[in-house]
Amino acid sequence: MSDPAIAQHLPGQHAKLRSRWLAYALAVAVIIVLPLIFNDTYWRTNLTVCAINVLLAIGLDFILGYAGQLNLGHSAFYGLGAYVSTLLIVKLGIPFWIAFIAGVTFAGIAGTFLSVFAVRLRGHYLAIASLGFAVIVHQILLNWISLTQGPLGIYGIAPPPAIVIGGVVIADFHNLAAFFYLVAGFAFLSYILLSQLVRSPIGETLTAIREDEVSAASLGINGAAWKVFAFGVGSAVAGAAGCFYASFVGTLVPDAFFVSEAFNILAMVIVGGMGTLIGPVFGAILLTVLPEVLRGFGDLRLVVYGAALTFVVLFMPGGLAQAARVIAEKFGVRNST
Amino acid sequence: MSAAAPVAATAQPLLQAQGLHKNFGGVKAVADIFFDVPAGTIFAVIGPNGAGKSTLLNLISGIYRPDAGSLSFQGNDLSRMPAHRRVRLGIARTFQKIRLFKQLSVLENVIAGFHVHHSVPAWQYVVHGAVFAEDQQRCREQAAKLLDFVGMSARLHVQAGSLSYGEQRMLELARALATKPQLLLIDEPAAGLNAAEVDGLLDRIRSLRSGGTTVILVEHNMDLVMNVADRIMVMDYGRRLFEGVPEEVQKNPAVISAYLGGELS
Repeated sequence: MSDPAIAQHLPGQHAKLRSRWLAYALAVAVIIVLPLIFNDTYWRTNLTVCAINVLLAIGLDFILGYAGQLNLGHSAFYGLGAYVSTLLIVKLGIPFWIAFIAGVTFAGIAGTFLSVFAVRLRGHYLAIASLGFAVIVHQILLNWISLTQGPLGIYGIAPPPAIVIGGVVIADFHNLAAFFYLVAGFAFLSYILLSQLVRSPIGETLTAIREDEVSAASLGINGAAWKVFAFGVGSAVAGAAGCFYASFVGTLVPDAFFVSEAFNILAMVIVGGMGTLIGPVFGAILLTVLPEVLRGFGDLRLVVYGAALTFVVLFMPGGLAQAARVIAEKFGVRNST
Repeated sequence: MSAAAPVAATAQPLLQAQGLHKNFGGVKAVADIFFDVPAGTIFAVIGPNGAGKSTLLNLISGIYRPDAGSLSFQGNDLSRMPAHRRVRLGIARTFQKIRLFKQLSVLENVIAGFHVHHSVPAWQYVVHGAVFAEDQQRCREQAAKLLDFVGMSARLHVQAGSLSYGEQRMLELARALATKPQLLLIDEPAAGLNAAEVDGLLDRIRSLRSGGTTVILVEHNMDLVMNVADRIMVMDYGRRLFEGVPEEVQKNPAVISAYLGGELS
């Protein structure tokens, strides 16, 4: 403690810890209040879709923004989570939460499996391999008709069972607000989990691999193993999003997990800001809400959406996270990264 | 150092190379190299550009695998071992072309270097408990010490990419030291440094040796090598031209004609 450099460093840590708890409390408050403000079916549906997309975006960001792995197949893990959990429920009558755990695990194992083979690939080679994986998964969902009913889809998927304690219904997930609380709460916990990981030395390890793998190896970092770890965690989170999606929408068709969905998730991460966890949260919210807000433009909607995306990439390459930093610095707020 | 350590060191060199070969297509980058590096010494490898010095260093650090020959470190065979495993044995390196994590801060770069020295139960990476906090605190303190050693205490939170060239070299040294190496490989450290920075670097290398670290220094700045090395190996076209103490190297006619030439001395 006598070292001035360390002494200088520590108060900053405490201030950061305090502001983090404040931010978490604020996030919980926002989650609670949102469905009370947006109390119609249309916006409550959008809120839940936002929460699902937040899960997808932070999972991809862990793989792409931290470990630097250009994964263009995130839709595959999303779809695997959705189909595995739903098929277990529909075909075998397995309880929702067990099927949920199975879906998450299966998606995580699929991500691990893909990355074990793909870790030797870098940049656009990995991008093509993961894209190919997503195409294959989509084709399997589409064509294994005896199992998935192919393009006809699976209908009437029930929401998770109501939470009943002592005969009192605490949460009935036929209620849209309750469903939103469930998914948003899970997304919040996932966010905290990932944020704990990236603020531990694992964060530096993954970033080191992203920045320079040769250099990372010279520090004893097993790049291949850590990339597999990042892929496994990120794809498991996507699997959870898939489980929620199926039980929320009630209908499952393969096209929900077409490759274009992977690009939507990628856009959320890029617009939000890769390599920060908070950026992709807002990226996911923005890109979920924006197309809805733009409905007034009719057919021009996608043009406006595309133009907005292009604008962000051209003028804010660090995404919303960078924009927020720039604005904060302008107003003299201390930079917390 | 206790009395036992030097005896053990003389009995077996820290690093031993036997008949190392590395070819790139038809080019013999490293051909039939033998050497012993005793513990606690500074061993320099010099030679003209393209002599195979950096390739040799890459063979030792594990970026390349030798086509033939063997490398042993404290009796461990290195030839088939991946680079990241060698770090756990105690081999660290810096790079000729600086390879810092540019987006990370100075402090974070050094903390990344502690990778193999964390001893935290896995669950505490998620729920940051007491052991985790202790480990973080220890890393920060040691990182701050290392950054003090290279004269960068005032720059802890600066992004590595925005440092001056000399500072980047020093940060790379601190980051390599974070792995607590027994053998430190330094590749062309003086490239791009001014005279004062080179002096500062030499002081650090000497104090590392007195702390018990063995150093292999690849360099073509002759003065620097003559000043600091205990033994020098001269390479040319991938082969060993000569090996000896600095005075012998300076006098050797083959070295003078192949490397020093007329105007360089």
